[in-house]
This record gives sequence, C-alpha cells and structure tokens, in this order.
Amino acid sequence: MSGHHISSAKFLWGVGISLLILTIITVGVAFIEIPSPWNIVVAIAIALVKASIVAAFFMNLYWDSRFNLLLLVVGILFFILLIGITLMDTLYRTDPLPSF
Amino acid sequence: MSQTSAIDQLTAHVQHHFVDSDQQFESAKMGMWVFLVTEILFFGGLFAAYIVYRAWYPDLYIMASEQLDTFWGGVNTVVLIGSSLTVAMAIRSAQLNQQKGIVINLLITIALAFVFMVIKYFEYSHKFELGIFPGAYYTFEGIDHPQANIFFSIYYMMTGLHGVHVIVGIGLMVWLLVKARKGVFHSNYYTPVEITGLYWHLVDIIWIFLFPLLYLID
Repeated sequence: MSGHHISSAKFLWGVGISLLILTIITVGVAFIEIPSPWNIVVAIAIALVKASIVAAFFMNLYWDSRFNLLLLVVGILFFILLIGITLMDTLYRTDPLPSF
Repeated sequence: MSQTSAIDQLTAHVQHHFVDSDQQFESAKMGMWVFLVTEILFFGGLFAAYIVYRAWYPDLYIMASEQLDTFWGGVNTVVLIGSSLTVAMAIRSAQLNQQKGIVINLLITIALAFVFMVIKYFEYSHKFELGIFPGAYYTFEGIDHPQANIFFSIYYMMTGLHGVHVIVGIGLMVWLLVKARKGVFHSNYYTPVEITGLYWHLVDIIWIFLFPLLYLID
C-alpha cells in the first residue's frame, strides 16, 4: 500500500528509550518536594509528553491523516470539559462534604 | 501462478464498497480512532471521580498511596512501554512482509502483557491479604481516615478496568498471532495488526496517566 509511513527499527527503539527515560524522570520528580498543586501539574505535564510521543510516533499520528488527530484533540477537549465543568461545581460547593 | 491470480491474492481483502485497499485501510483506522475517543471518555469518567475525591480528601490520597508499591507500578510502566514498542515493531514487520517478524513481535507483546497481569495479580492479592477490598468489603485498619475505602474503590475501578482492557488486548493479539502464523498478513493487508496496535497504545497511554496519579502521590 503506497503512502504508508514505515518507521525504521532504530527510530522505534529511540522512541521507546526516550519513553523509558521520561518514566525515570517521572519517578525521580516524585521524590522532589514540590508544593501542591504544582507537584500534580508537573506529574501530569510529564505524562502528557509521554502520551504525545506514543500518539505521534507509535500510533503514527505525526504522518497520518490530520482528521485522526482532529478526532483525538476534540475527544480530549470534551474530556477537559467534563473535568472542568464538574470541578466548577464540586470545588465551589459550600455544603459540608457528603458522607460517602 | 498467473499474474492476475497474484494480484487477486493481494487485493482479495478489498470489500466491494471501498474504492481501493488504501481507502479501506484509512477508514478502518479512522473507525478505530473514533472508538479510542470513546475509550478516553470512558476512562475519563473515572478520572473525574478521582479528581473530585482528591480535591475533597487530599490527605487521604497521600496516606493511602503508601499502600501502593511504587516499584512494581514502575516495573509495570516499563513493561507496557516495552509492549508498545514491540507491537509497533510487529506492524513494521507486516509493512515489510516479514511474517516471522510479525509472529515474534506479537509473541513478545503478549508475553509482556502477561507479565503486567501477573504483577497486577500479586499487587491485588497482597492488598486482599491486608483486608483492602473495594467499597463495603474494606476491613483494613492501617489508614487513619474514615474515607479510606473510597480511595481504594477508585483504585480498584481504575486499575481493574484497565486490567480488563489488557486482557482483551491479549485476546486480540493471540487472534492476530494465529492469523499471522497462517500468513494472512502482508504488506498490502495488515489492517487488523494496525488497529489492534492502536488499541494497545491507548491501553499504554491510560497506564501512563494512572501510574503517577495513583502510585506517585508522595
């Protein structure tokens, strides 16, 4: 099939190794005392980089039809909407916390 | 074998409602991406529960996280990243008509997925020994917080659902392995390998977020 991007074995291994390095960084950063909530921000940021690398170079989004990337981005947007609107409610409640 | 018969072999998979093999491949990929987006929102609901409870009970999360073994969580992360690499290599083998490469890389991916589930099994059984069960069955006394069982309900739901997805992935890849050994896949047709690979990478991505959020709350 023409037009299919074939990554070299070296490239795929390079992506894998960079993911392993980022995993080591993820664990290492957890041992550094960062004031909340920035510790969560840093952890999520590193996870986002790892996820983007998997999506772009293992899932081939970098070379694929842009529509697939659009699907992913819009899906993530709706996820952010879910979290954002939920938090807009739960974070600003003045009621006591529920018993559960 | 005549020329026409050889071409028929290469295009036998093309269904009548597609213009050519490429269009069929691209629509299969798009269909899988639509499914993956539903999976993101599926897990997204659980992440929403995690976030709300962490906002309400931040101390609980710090205390409860001590019951999760960071080392084995880290090993599982490495195992899944490795399996993403090998499934990508399996797709590459299919693209290059290397049947042996497809088989070997799928085998290693399945093996790594099994390693992940074995480690999960030991994690869960260790917790069960301590009385750490989800929800109403929680009997562990070691965490001084009235909502401790809620954290572990969330933990079991998220990692359990993820584990179910790993098992489904194992099943899919065993099916791919059987077909690959029969020589079904070649550089003109490897669509099932490609879209199963996409599914597997998403399972890896979900774990990439689960690991720091559950195991690295320190």
